[in-house]
Parts: sequence; C-alpha cells; structure tokens
Amino acid sequence: MMKRRMTNRRLTGMHHTCTKQYASIGQQLVIGMLCSTLLACSADSPDQNTAALNQPYPAQTGGTLISAMPSDPSGMIGMVAGESASLAIGAYLFNSLLTFNQDLDLAGELAESWQVADDKKTITFKLKPGLQWADGKPLTSADVLFTWQLIIDEKTHSPYASDYQLVTKAEAPDAQTFIVHYAQPFAPALESWAHLQVLPKHKLAGQDIHTTSFAQKPLGSHYYQLKEWRHGEYLKLERNPKSVLGPANIDNVVERIIPDPAAQFLELMADNIDSMTLDPITYARIIPSRPALQAKLNQYKELGNSYTYLGFNLKRKPFDDVRVRKAINYAIDKQEIIDGVYLGLGIAIASPYKPGTRWSNPNLTPYPFDPTKAKQLLAEAGYVDSNGDGIVERDGKKLSFEVLTNLGNKQREKTTVIIQRRLKEVGIETRIRTLEWASLLTNFIKPGDFDAVVMGWGLSLDPDQYSIWHSSQQGPGQFNFIGYNNPAVDKLLEQGRMEFDPETRMQIYHDFAKVLYEDSPLVYLSAGYGLTAIHKRVQGIMNPVPPAGVGYDSHKWYLPEPLRRTQIQAE
Amino acid sequence: MQRILQNPMAITGLCFIGIILLLALLAPWIAPYDPDAVQVKQILIGPSAEHWMGTDGLGRDVWSRMLFGGRVSLLVGLVAVGISTVIGVILGALAGYYRGWVDTVIMRLVDIMLSIPSFFLILAVIAFLSPSITNVMIVIGLTSWMSVTRLVRAEFLSLTQREFVTASTALGAQDWRVIFKHCLPNSLTPVLVSVVLGIASAVLLESGLSFLGLGVQPPQASWGNILTDGKEYIQFAWWLSLYPGLAILITVLGYNLLGEGLRDVFDPRSHTR
Repeated sequence: MMKRRMTNRRLTGMHHTCTKQYASIGQQLVIGMLCSTLLACSADSPDQNTAALNQPYPAQTGGTLISAMPSDPSGMIGMVAGESASLAIGAYLFNSLLTFNQDLDLAGELAESWQVADDKKTITFKLKPGLQWADGKPLTSADVLFTWQLIIDEKTHSPYASDYQLVTKAEAPDAQTFIVHYAQPFAPALESWAHLQVLPKHKLAGQDIHTTSFAQKPLGSHYYQLKEWRHGEYLKLERNPKSVLGPANIDNVVERIIPDPAAQFLELMADNIDSMTLDPITYARIIPSRPALQAKLNQYKELGNSYTYLGFNLKRKPFDDVRVRKAINYAIDKQEIIDGVYLGLGIAIASPYKPGTRWSNPNLTPYPFDPTKAKQLLAEAGYVDSNGDGIVERDGKKLSFEVLTNLGNKQREKTTVIIQRRLKEVGIETRIRTLEWASLLTNFIKPGDFDAVVMGWGLSLDPDQYSIWHSSQQGPGQFNFIGYNNPAVDKLLEQGRMEFDPETRMQIYHDFAKVLYEDSPLVYLSAGYGLTAIHKRVQGIMNPVPPAGVGYDSHKWYLPEPLRRTQIQAE
Repeated sequence: MQRILQNPMAITGLCFIGIILLLALLAPWIAPYDPDAVQVKQILIGPSAEHWMGTDGLGRDVWSRMLFGGRVSLLVGLVAVGISTVIGVILGALAGYYRGWVDTVIMRLVDIMLSIPSFFLILAVIAFLSPSITNVMIVIGLTSWMSVTRLVRAEFLSLTQREFVTASTALGAQDWRVIFKHCLPNSLTPVLVSVVLGIASAVLLESGLSFLGLGVQPPQASWGNILTDGKEYIQFAWWLSLYPGLAILITVLGYNLLGEGLRDVFDPRSHTR
C-alpha cells in the first residue's frame, strides 16, 4: 500500500524531470552526438581488458561503485520527504523491522522474530540482540517506537502515515520488544513494518523534523553511511563497519545525480558510472548493436511489480455496459503493444498481480485479440454501424470517447496510438489527449472528469488492493477513481485484509482476480520489465535476477582489485 | 514581377517553397503508406527502397508522415500569418490614419505585446487551453501581429501627407474610402515582405510547440512531433531527426530567401546603383 503511493510519486518525479530538462536537452544532444562518435572510434579497437572482465574472481572487499540517480534527494528522511530519491538513499542508511527475502517472503531485519496474537490484533516484534547505530550507541525498541510516533504525528505530514495510524497503541516494554495493537485484524500491517525506516531517537528527539540538520547529516544503522553530499552533483556513501547486518563488500558507493537518461547513458559508455536503469530501446537495440558495450556491460531484467492499463470511467456511458468493456478488451492486441512499445520486454497479464507470484491467479489467461468477438459483443450491446461511416452507433449516438494519458511518457503515448488504431477497426472512435501529469491528476482524475485513461499501477508486495478497488475509495483524490463498485469484490477485499494465513489469503485474491476478469473494469495492457545495465567489473550479482530484484543482495557484490578504476572520477 | 524573377534569392526561395508546397498538397496521392499505420514488426528500420526515410518507433513510414506533416506545418504557417496580418493591417491603418489617442492606445498595446516574450506567452496560453492545431494557429496569429502594425502605421503616416490623399479628402471622400482605396494598396509592399518572413517564423514556432508536445496531437504527424519521437532514438535512428530537421530548414530558408529577395526588389534604395 505504501509502496503503491511511492510509485505514484515516482511517476510524478520522472515527469517533472522531463519537463525541467527541455531547456538543456538541445545542448546535451549536440554534446551527446559528438561524444558518441568519439567513443565509437576508440571503443571499436579490441579491448585488452575484455578477457579480464569475463574472468570470475573470489569475493573481496574494497573499491568504489559509481551509480546514477535521476534527481537530488530533498533530505535523508524519506518517510517525511515522500519522494523516491530520499527513500532510495534512505535504503542505504536505515533498517526496518522486517524485510523481504529473495523470494519476496517476509523476513526479519532488525527483528529476530515477530508474532501475531490469536485475535490477530496484536503483533509482537523481538529485536535482534546487540544492535547498534553507526556511532556505537545501542539501537533499541525505543528507537522504533520513536519513529512510529514521528510518522503518525500530525505535524510531520508524512505521506505514509495512514498505515501506521491504524495502530491504536504501540509499546516498548523492554529494549528488545516492540508491540503494536490494532483495532481490527489488518494483514497488510506486516508489510508496512518492512517499509518503516527506523530513525535514531538520540539524534532526533526534541528536534523539528522539517528543519533538523539530521536530514543533511544522517546517522543510520545499515550497510552505508553518508560521507559527503554535494547538492545536485553526487552523494558519497561509505561502508558502515558497525552495520547491523554485517559489513558490505564494497567500500564506497557514489550516487551521481544525472537527470537525463541520455546523459546517464553517455556516462555509462564513457565508463564514468557503473550502473543505470535502462529503457527498452537501449536494452534491446542500442547495447546489442555495439560489441564494445556488450563486452563490458551485463544486462539484467526483472519483472516489475507494476502494470499499464486502459481504465474506463465506469460511471459514464457506455462503460457501464460490461459488453462494451469486454469488446474493447478483445479489440486490443496486447502483444502488439508489448512488441511495439516495450520491444517485447513485457508480458500480458490477466490479474492485477505480478505473474509467477503466489497472488496471481494461474487459471486466468489474458483476453485474446479477437476483433470478431469484439464486434459481436458490440452488436449485442446494440452498437451497429447504420450509416456506413465506419463508426458504430446506438440510438444515433456514435461510440466515441477520449483517452487521456500523461505528457512526456513516450511509452504510454505510443500505447494510446496503437489502441486508437485497433479500436477504430471494430468501429470505435477515440481521441487522444496527453496532459501534464499534475494537470491530469488535479483537473481530470480527481474530479472524475474523463472517459478513459492509459495509466499504470505500481503495486506493493502485499496483495491488498483495497484502496484501488473497494467501492468506499471513490472520493476525490482516492485511488478507485474509475468508480468500480462490486459488492462481491468489496467483500473479498475486506476478508483479505483480515486474513493472515497465506494459503487462505491466496484463495481470496484468486477469487478477487477472477471477478475482475469477468467484469473487465479495465484492460490490462502489459507488465513491463525493469531493466538494468551493470559494468562487468562488478561481480557477485545474482543472475538470473531473483524475484526481489537485481539490487536485492548488493551488499554481497564486490569489485575485484584488477578491475577497479585507478582513480575516482566523481567530479 | 520581372524583377522578382531576376533576383536569385527570391528564385531560390520560390523553388524551395514550391517543391515543399507541391509535395504537401499532393500528399494523399504520393504517400506510399497510410501515415498512421502502425507496423510493430517493422520498428525503426533505416532508410531502404521500401521505406525511403525509414520507419519510426511504431513502424510507421517516415516519408508518408513527413508528407502529411508538411501539410500541417504549412497550414499552420499560412493561417497564423493570415490572422496576424489582418489584425496588424487593421490596427496599423487605424493608428496611422487617425493618429491622436487612437494611435497612442494602439502603439502602447504594441509596446506591451512586444515586451512579453512571445514564445513563453504562447506556451502559457496553449497549456491553459488544450493543445490542438486550431488553438496553435489562433494563438500564434494573435501574438505576432505587432510588426505588421508598425509597418502599416509608418506607411500611413507618410501616405496621409501625400497630395492624392489630401486631394481625395478635400473632395469629401469618406474615411473608409481613403483608407481602403488610396492608402492601403500603397502600403502593402512592406507588408508582403513581412508576411513571407512571418510564415517562416510561424512554421518554426509550430515545430517548436509540437516538439514540446503542445502542438499537434498524436497520432497526427507534424514535423515537430516527428522530431520529438526521434529524440528518443537519436543515438542510432538518425533518420528520425535528420529528415524533419531538413524539411523545417528548407521551408524556413525558402521563406526567408523569398522575403529577403522581395525586400530587395521592392526597396527603391536598392536600385539606385
């Protein structure tokens, strides 16, 4: 649930970066073209290091890994700042009570064990013994309690407060024990404790969280600590020898702030950064077409926990008719979108969960591309082309609607163009409108003033999707903006939240996905892959990528001495 | 006319514009493919016999899109300049003919408009309205009439002092008759030059707006949004950036050459040698 919101913000962030960058793109392109020509010349000559790069070395410590991130964090307290850059850096510095193991099951991080009481309303966490902050002070349940109080404090304005506000009472009876009480059973609670980045009470107590110097000079307990931060340029992280999970292999991590993906890629080619996330074009076309790049980069792909969809405003005609929704679903060729927009780096889905995980219903298959069936369904719903203009109508009214999507997201823009084309073939007219992200949300999504949208959901690891589908979540600004209202689904979602047993829960969410499938309140377009390129000098990376993602065990990565940079080029 | 044909700049400009106009007008007949036909099996193919200018990120034929995009760009240029010229001529004529407070009001309005950076004004207005061809044409038209106003006013200031104008006023001709029959026809030469140059900048503006996603909306093609699509692939699909870039260059160059040529031809000082 919390992750879901984070992902929304991540989209916003991405978008703002795009618009801000317009001014300098011209310059960057020119420089970019020059650089790439120069590079191509030098890189085409056989690289004597290539052989060394492919040779496996034993795990060792030391070295500096340089990575790139698109925006400068606003502060180090991600739970307060509420933006992805802060949370990403925070993940290097702070621990949570729980975490997810490589198969995405819950595991203890600060907590050694956790117990759900029989009435399912109380969770007791036991902390590991001997935990300490990077400055040597002990990390106790008092710190966890303090962090919880901070997040739910009205004055903090944390965007992630709601999950933690469900806790009616929290207590820390001794240094090792942390107990939370809920008014009613709430299964997604466990996941929320895997997201709360625990902050040190002895540094923050009594301070104003919005102005504290801690946000610039943090103190954590995780693998790394912040050594230097040049705003807008880079953040230098140094290994924390007192890390509660044991020290990481790599000595220093430098996160360079490079907003433009094209500029990041140039730096990757020039060997100035070691890793970056890629778009499908770079992953599937550019890198494979350049042997010099292939020789020094490893590419990783992992199925992301998100999907793109075409959503209907169910309160408007004609989308209140299930036959029309199904017809549109049959009329869209999902594989065409995956091939055309994601260059094959995506998969079609039939339930709102990551395929292959326990929550995704294996008995459902995505709606096939079947224009004949689509036309048939439209005819059943009373839509026929009576005047021969190629567009179907009912009672003299054309079946025509507007599809909105956010400006600057090229993949979504292309998706709408493909959809428009396919829908026209079955006699449905669509108009495309791309809007700036903030304007799309405030002027159209919040007031519910739209016909259809192409957007995406980034999901949490917990299967609870109450806020997206429950009929009570239709208010302005809430996530069920398509206006889905189905008592059967409401009931399943309520049951799912109360159920802690994984097997029973799984059945509930399989049933839920089945109802959605039959109802077709939105068209699942595709679940895309997260794509990463990492320089071959970084070894010890799990391949194939585990479900938890490529960075899951980055503390075990290492830089073999012969492959390290001779000098750090962070400036 | 003879002199226009003897001016090398004007002739070159005319040729450029002629070719582009012809191609755009004939687009539906000469385009080998439907400009909006998505072919996911043929994404980003370089120029070949089958696709002269290659295909774009959705497998659409770039040559066909360029032809149809040209229609949009040129249409926007012509209509926008049409609007600005009509406004400019009327306001300029009023200011130059009546002088006094009419002149003051209109010229201060011109000053105000000129002091606002027009591209940002257009950006703001388009973001406020919704982006569409019609809006782009109207907004460009409404924000670029100032130079025409100044030109026409200056011409009118001198024309109203001339004998034939004074004569017709003395004979009791009505204001509108003096303005439209005597002054206007004699002040149109500099306007013609500025119209031609105005089209060039309107074409550029439209491409800029479409490049930023605020002009012509997909799937309709315009040179500006073909360029935007190309930006994403500039590292290896050069044809998506080169051809629309060239088309914009040739068109703008064509109009500018023609405009300069016309100025030389009509400017009496350039013939005194």
